[in-house]
Formats: sequence, structure tokens, C-alpha cells
Amino acid sequence: MRLLFSLLASYRREAVLSTLSALVWMVMVIIGPYLTKVVIDRAIEGERRDLLLPLVGAVLAAGVIKALGVGGRRYFAFLLSYRAETDLRNRIFEHIQRLEFNYHDEVPTGELMSRSSSDLSQVRLVYAMLPITIANVAMFVVVVAVMLSIDVTLGALVSLAVPMLLYIANTYARRVIDIATDVQQKLADNTAVIAEAIGGIRVVKSYGQEAQETEKIRMAAIGIYERSMELIKNRAIFIPLFELVAPIATAVILGIGGLRVIEGALTPGEFYQFAEYMVILNFPLRLTGWFFAEIPRASAAGGRVLDLLKTAPEIADPAHPVDLPPGPGDVRFSNVAFRYPDGPPVLDGFDLHVPGGRSVALVGATGSGKSTVAYLLARFYDVTGGTVSLDGVDVRSVRLSELRNEVAVVFEETFLFSASIRDNISFGNPDATDDQVRLAARLAQAHGFISDTVDGYESMIGERGYSLSGGQRQRIALARAVLRDPRVLILDDATSSVDAVTEDEIRNALKTVMAGRTTIIIAHRPSTLALADEVIFIDEGKVVASGTHTELLERVPRYSAVLATAEVG
Amino acid sequence: MYARFGSGEGRTEGTWELLRKAASYGKGLGWVATGALFATILATVARLAGPAYVRQGLDAVDVADRQALFQSVWWFVGALVLQYISQAISQYWVSGVGERYLADLRVRAFRHLIDLDVDFFSRSKAGVLVSRLTSDIEALTQFVKEGAINVVTSILTVIGVTIAMFLIDTSMALAVLALMPILLGVSVVFRIYADRAYEQVREHIGRVLGAIQEGISGVRVVQAYTQEHRQKLEFGRVNERYFDANIAAAKAISAYFPAVDFLRTSGLALILVVGGNRVLDGEMSFGALVAFLLYLNWFFEPIVQISNLYNLLQAALAALSKLLGILDREAAVPEAIDPVPLPEIVGKLTFDRVTFGYDPAVPILHGIDLEIQAGERIAIVGETGSGKSTLAKLAVRFYDPLGGTISLDEVDLVSIGFEDLRRGVALVPQEGFLFAGTLRDNIRYARPDAGDDEIWNVCATLGIAEWVGTLPDLLDTEVRERGSRFSSGERQLVALARALLAGPSVIVMDEATSNLDPETEGVVEAALATLLEGRTAIVIAHRLATAERADRVVVMDDGRIVEIGHHSELVGAAGPYARLSEVWQAAQTSD
Repeated sequence: MRLLFSLLASYRREAVLSTLSALVWMVMVIIGPYLTKVVIDRAIEGERRDLLLPLVGAVLAAGVIKALGVGGRRYFAFLLSYRAETDLRNRIFEHIQRLEFNYHDEVPTGELMSRSSSDLSQVRLVYAMLPITIANVAMFVVVVAVMLSIDVTLGALVSLAVPMLLYIANTYARRVIDIATDVQQKLADNTAVIAEAIGGIRVVKSYGQEAQETEKIRMAAIGIYERSMELIKNRAIFIPLFELVAPIATAVILGIGGLRVIEGALTPGEFYQFAEYMVILNFPLRLTGWFFAEIPRASAAGGRVLDLLKTAPEIADPAHPVDLPPGPGDVRFSNVAFRYPDGPPVLDGFDLHVPGGRSVALVGATGSGKSTVAYLLARFYDVTGGTVSLDGVDVRSVRLSELRNEVAVVFEETFLFSASIRDNISFGNPDATDDQVRLAARLAQAHGFISDTVDGYESMIGERGYSLSGGQRQRIALARAVLRDPRVLILDDATSSVDAVTEDEIRNALKTVMAGRTTIIIAHRPSTLALADEVIFIDEGKVVASGTHTELLERVPRYSAVLATAEVG
Repeated sequence: MYARFGSGEGRTEGTWELLRKAASYGKGLGWVATGALFATILATVARLAGPAYVRQGLDAVDVADRQALFQSVWWFVGALVLQYISQAISQYWVSGVGERYLADLRVRAFRHLIDLDVDFFSRSKAGVLVSRLTSDIEALTQFVKEGAINVVTSILTVIGVTIAMFLIDTSMALAVLALMPILLGVSVVFRIYADRAYEQVREHIGRVLGAIQEGISGVRVVQAYTQEHRQKLEFGRVNERYFDANIAAAKAISAYFPAVDFLRTSGLALILVVGGNRVLDGEMSFGALVAFLLYLNWFFEPIVQISNLYNLLQAALAALSKLLGILDREAAVPEAIDPVPLPEIVGKLTFDRVTFGYDPAVPILHGIDLEIQAGERIAIVGETGSGKSTLAKLAVRFYDPLGGTISLDEVDLVSIGFEDLRRGVALVPQEGFLFAGTLRDNIRYARPDAGDDEIWNVCATLGIAEWVGTLPDLLDTEVRERGSRFSSGERQLVALARALLAGPSVIVMDEATSNLDPETEGVVEAALATLLEGRTAIVIAHRLATAERADRVVVMDDGRIVEIGHHSELVGAAGPYARLSEVWQAAQTSD
């Protein structure tokens, strides 16, 4: 909570302006009934017709100031809260982009999404409510003081309504917020079931399980219904109650105040003033009760946001970076050890040297650590022992941007952005010219099909755009890597998800881009392995053999065992 | 009590049926709604009575009649009790009926959607369909929850207050009513601005969320190309436009509420001047003036409320029309009304002059003739777009042919009941789509009543019992986010187990294209062989070995069968298959 307030310091101007406007509004809210009282007592009951217009003029003047106060309060509170939300969202996004692979392996997308949407809305709400809550609390104090100063007994009696209503409003809000959160959760679950049924519609239909899916939805709908009815029950009990407090106070004022007026202890105007205050306080009291009920949730949400922002990226630029010397792309792993957090060792005493310009293929069973080798070179993860160096320099002592500029990875799962094909290819080199983009696409054997699309390089891809086949997507990813012109190219199982015909096309693309470049290929199709100068066989975290595919087949029985099934299959 | 939600079983509900149901539902609703309206009127009247008793009491004070004063206080309190009870009842009834209606709608709309043909799903974006059943229904919920009751209450209050004011004093009431056109005018202008602003807000929040989503799923690529800074700047721009949209809406709100507030003060001033003079002239009591002032508080609020609710109402109407767009759609592949029973299924599948096109004007299959004997294994090969997947979809009746017939054991698929059809023919997408839930639920998906013994038997038969045995919770192991916890090979194995337990006579399978690591691949291949044993199988083949193992290979090109025969014959024929098999061969051999 304190941290949330410390953030406010950045928006001091908006916070101060909004709070000041709220206080002006508050003063005018309290003065209003007093002025009306003066009109009643002095002009009407005092039978001074001449005073009527000037005094009503004062009421109007106070009304103008009050209106300005309302406007200022709202506008600056919006400004404050949206500014804070927007800035925090920027910071979260920037931070997420910098957190290392390890972090993203662990934390699901949905969680990060809710950090930057629903959690932030919670925080924003508190910021938006803060100025009016300050003014409201001040209002309660002043109104109670004013009522006590007019008539101690009546004032004390009526003032009881303040803590009572505050308490009821808070109780109600806490209950309702809990149930509403639960309903939201149930709605989200319901959405998940629907999305799943639609995503798996072919399975549903193949096995004729429409009824089973409907049953799931029916159970979800009943769950939502039952919780919503609880919400409705609470509303039905509490909302009429809120509307009752002011009239009850009015009834008390009418009875006791009426007696006091008869006794001459209270003027008719003061009577009106009392009644009016109860009407005025009603809504601020409910709002404040609700605000204090929101705080635990909002500070939990804010805490989650701040936790995220405080998570330091573990892989960052070194304090004193070394420049990467020019070189052919000589890659060396010396006695490298690696394990994922809380996992068993993946690499242990791993040694590998790939001279500049050579291409090697890494082969190993699932979990043998072959992808890890590639990721360590681009420093997506850091070794837990030993060193990985590029052209003689430890990758950890180079700036990340410099390192990754020279080590390009084509991932197993192709990710393309919802943007034009051109923007996707030039993603790593936004300043590339059209000719450079085309050249990269040609090298990746992508120019042909790109030219066949309606808008060519400007065709939009992604959710709302052109849909490409797996092989086409792969080649765009390849062009993206090629455009970087890196010293080292890493192809992580880049041809695994395409059929043999497409792989044939990609293989041709690979031949051209690999020429004269250090390349690390992770694959198990013999045809792809054939592209490499040398095949490295990894087992149990170590290099166990190297040579050509044919040599290894002859020499290493385990190698044939790992690959054998693919041949038969 | 949940019977009214519509049970899971039951047939496809057509639009007419739905409308009829909605109408019959309206009858019950009508009765409760009348009760709720009565309660609401009662609550409003009781509330409006309050100031009248204040007036009575103050008039008693004027003549120092303590008895009369207390009498009006007690009446006041009595009215308040009545107000509370009737308001609570009306709140509960109105919202309760709405909730029940929505719960029913959720189930009905889903059932209707899921019963639509696969064609419809292929043509629609999944995200859009999901939002029809979620956010659109939520928009209705919003209105039912917050809108309906408030609209009714607000309208009743405005009417009641107006009557009450006229009862007290016509000239004062007219003075207040003179402000009404201004208030309405201001509200309409605000509405126009706010609607525009909120539309922008909705559009931009969509973009912001989309950008975050993409930023997270693409984070590895962003880091690989060290574009974090540019991503941040681009996101900042999207985010800032959302901020601007919000501020535009905030400005409208920040102008509207002060205007309303000042109108209220003006009303007060008017009453004080007009009413003050009337009291001074002795034409009206002081109590009447105070009562009038108290009514004034209730005059402006409802109009502001209605103006705010207009938004909800519009959103609800838009959502309803979109929802009806789905509910009005009929399934293109309906179940036969009088199905031919198929007690024993042998598994002979015949295509007789089958033509088909997703768009009737663009034929994809041109007169397919193919007779597949029971127990025969067919591999279909062909390039992308040759019509091989379409053929498979027709075989399981995801679509009906435009011309010709497809029959199972000599019975046209069109006249087989869905239950028999699913027992007879099943499409097994080898990619293995898993549902959230336990492994058990996934395996017995087609037969939810299957016992654990059967499931373990199936696993043992497929040779995966050992693997399941290594899972932390065995069959109770939870499958998350579409099986993300399992490797793609494991997902395929579960899909095969599911198919074996379902036990259809004819299996239509689209071979998985992704390469598994060779060890897993061996296990999958063996399991697949077990599954297909003794069944009729149509496999869309992506690799040589599959085609080699088939009894017959059907080669398709441009919607026609161009070659048919055993692998060894076709290789010798030097036709299209021979060429394809060469490419495949190349992928498997090294230099």
C-alpha cells in the first residue's frame, strides 16, 4: 500500500488539484444547506421579502463554485488515475519484455495479462477514488461538528447514522466484492470450457459428445446462477437499507426537531438544514464504505504489479561490457554445466568447438539438452558452470544486443507478429531497405510465395490477416534471421512441423543461407542432418560422438537407436 | 429445480423451438414481472409519501400540536417499513428472474452452437464464437442486473415526483419542470459525446490487450532480435491512444455532472424564490415548502440514471442481435428424422459419384467413386488442395455431398442416426486435442461411463500403461491448457487411447505431420498399428511408411482420384505417386 502511495508522487499536480477541487466541492456541499437555512430563517420566517433575492443569489453563487469543484474533482481524478494506469502498464510491458526465458517458461501468459489489465484497473480505481474519499471523510467530520453545534442532543443522535451507514456499506461491499470476484472467476472458467469445446470441435463431433460438452456448460451456468443469486440476495437486503437511512434520520429529526421547534430551541431553517445533511451524506457514506472494502483487493493487486516490476531480469548486460572482436563466428563450449531451476542437470562437462564457418548438426534424444546448447550460445539462459564463448569472448561479458545481433535463432515454433510480411522479416532490422528484405526472402526461398499473395510484402499476417502454411511461416522466420546476417545461425528443429514435401523446399533454402556461416542445426531427419559438415551426438549432457551421419550410424549403436525409428516410420 | 435449465440431452433446438420456449418462458416472467412491478410501485409510493408526512408534521409544529406531530412521525416510519419490504422484494424478483433467464440462455445458446455443423466452425473465427457466448451474454447480464430494475424505478420516481410536486403547488412545479428541457438537452448532448468516446475506449482497450498478448507470446523472438526497446516504444504509442480515448470520455463526464449539479441548484433557487414568496403571501405553509425541497432531490437523480443506463441498454440490444445471428442458424448436417437402425456395423464404406464444394459454385471433389472393404486400410495421398482432407471430412459426415452418396454398410450416411454413425465412423485427429480435466476423462471422452479397468486395458493394449504408470497421479493426472503439460507424442497417444476405447468400425485419420523424437515415434507407431488392426481405416498420409503399409493407396489430384493401388504397383507405374514417393524417399536418406 505504501508503495502505491509512493507512486502518487509522480502525479503530484493531478493529485493535489483533484483533492483541492474535491475539498472546494465538499465545503460548498456543506454551505449549501446552511445558505438555504438562512434564506428560510431570515427571509421567509423573518418575513424580509427584500432579503429573499440577494440570499438566493448567494445560494446560486455557491452552486456555481460547487459545480466547478465537481468538474475539477472528476477531471483531475480521471487524469491522475488513467495517467498512473497507463504509465504502470508501460512499465509492466517493458519489464516483461526484458525478463529472461526462465521467467517466461514458468509464468503463464494469462497471469501476465491479468497483471497488466485487471490488476491495474484495481489500482486505478483506488487512485481515482482517493481525492473524493479524502473530501468525504472531511465532510463527515465537518457535518457532524456543524450538527452538534446547532443542537447537541439532536446532532449526537443523528450523527450516529454516520458510523452506522459506514459500517453497513463496508460490510455490504466486502460481501459483494468477494462474491463478485467469485462470479468473475466462474465466468472465466465458463469461457475456458466454451473456448475448449470450440477449439476441439472436431473431436467433439467425431465422438458425438455434444451432450457431454453441454453438460459442462450447464454445470458452469448453474454455478454462475447460484453465486449470482447470493449477490442478488445481498443487494435486495442492503440497497433498500441504504435508501432508508436518510429518511429514518429525517423521521427522527421530524419528531425530536419538531418538538425543539415548538419549544423554540430550533429554528425551522435549522430543521431543514438537519434533514438536508442526511440526504447529502447518504451517497458519500456508501462510497467511502465501499472504498475501504476495495482497499485490500486493490493493494493485493498493486502488490502483484510491484512484485512483477521488482523481479530483476537475471540475464542483463554486464556492468563492464567487452566489445565483440571481429571474427568468423568461432563457437566454443568449455566444460559447460547447466540445469533449469529445480531441475536435474541437463548439461554436465559439455565441450564443443565449432570453428567459424562450419556447420554442425546436434542429435540427441528428447531431454538430451541439444536445444539448451543453442540457447546458451545466444544467452537466453546462463550456464551454471563452465563458459560459452563466441570468437574467444565469454558470451556473458558482451552486450546482449551485440551478442544476439551475431547469433540468430530460428525457433522450433515459429512466431510471427500481426503485421505485414515485410515488417515481420525486417523485425530485427527495422531500417532494412526493400531490396535487403527481398534479398533475405529470396535466400530463404520465400520470395516466390510472398509475391503470390495479394499484397505481396505488404500482406498482413496473423489473427486478422493472411494465413500461411507451416512451411511458409518457417521460411519467413528464416528470412528474418538471414536479414540479420549473423555470424552464427541456429536452427532449432526448424523443420520438424512440416511434411516431407515442404521440408524439401525449406532444405533448399537452408543450403543457401548456411553457406560460409557458422550454423548449428538441431534436427533428426537424415536429409536435414546431411546439410551439416558434422553431426554431433549428445547423450546424457555430453558430446558422445561426432562425425558424418553415415559414420555415426556405423560406429555408434545408440545413435542408430535414437534415429532408427524415424527411418522405419 | 435445475430441470428448467434444459438437460444435457435432447435434440437440436431450432430457432422456432427457441422462440417458442422464450415465449413460454415469458408467461412465467409476465406473472413475476407483474408482481415485481407492483412491488416497485408500492416502494416508490411509500418513498414519495415521506416528504408528505414531513409536511404534515411541520404543519403540526406550526400550530404546536405535539399529538399530530408524533402521529405523522409514526406514519412516516410505517411508510419506511413498507418501502423497505417492497423494495427488497422487487429487487430480488426482478434480478432473480433475469438470472434464471440468463442461465438458461447460456446453456441453450451453447447447445445450439455446438450442434451446428463443422463447416460453420471452419468458417467462423473461434474467438468470435467464444465472445458470442461470453461477452455478448455478459452484456445482457449487465443490463438485466443493473439496468432493468433501475430503469423501472427511475421512470416511476420521475412520474411520482412530478405528480407530488403538482399536488403541493402548481406554479412551483411548473418552475421546476421548466428546467426539464435543459436537463434533457444536456443529457442528450452528453450521451452523444460519451457514446463516441466509449466506442473509442472499447476499440483501444482491445488493441492494448492484443499488443500485450502478442508481446508476451512473442517475447522470445523479441529478445532473440533485441527489439525490446522498439517494442516498448510501439506499445507506448498504442497505450497512449487508449489513454487519450479514456480522457476524452472523462472530459464528457467531467462536464456533464457539474452541469446537472448546477441545474439542481438552480431548481433549488427557483423554489426558494417562488415558494418563499408564496409562504410570505400566506398562500402556502412552510411545511409544504420543505416537502417540495425534499422532492426536488429525487427529481434530477432518475434522469441522470436513465441517461447512464442508455449505454447498457444499447450494448444489450447489440449483443442480443448478434446472439440471435447464431441462434437463427440451422445445422447444415441435420440428423435423419427417421433413421435407419444399424445394429451391427461391419465397416464397408462406399463413395458413389460424390461431388462436393464448400462453396457449391467452386467444386472441390468431382465424382469420387471408391469402395472400401470392411477391414481394409486405405492411405490417401496428394498435394495440399487435392481434396484429400475434404474426402475424409465427408466420410465422417462433417459435410454432406452435393451430389452422389456415401454409405456405410450400404446405408446412406444421411439416413443413419448420429449415435450409430459415431459408433460406426470416427475421425481421429492424430494431433491429439486434449480437454482440461483428468487423463481419465480424456481417454473415456467418447464413453464417459467407461470404468478404470477398461481404460487400463486400453492403455495396456496400446502399450502405454507403463507410461501412464509413471505419471504423478496416474489416471487422475490433470491435463492443463490443452495438454501443455504433455509432449506432442504423449498427446497423440492419449488421442489413440481415446479412439480405441470408443471402438468405431471405421477410423478416419489425418496423420500428424510433426516429427516426434524417434523414440516416442516408435511407441506411437506401434500403438497406431494396434488401434487400426481389424478396422476399416482411411489415413491421410504424410509419409512414405504409412503409404507402404496400406492395403491400397488412393492418389488424389485436383478433386479426382488419379491413381489407386498398392504401393509397390504404383511405384512401378511411374505416375504421380512414383514422383511423390521419390520426394519422400529423399527426405529419409542421407548422402
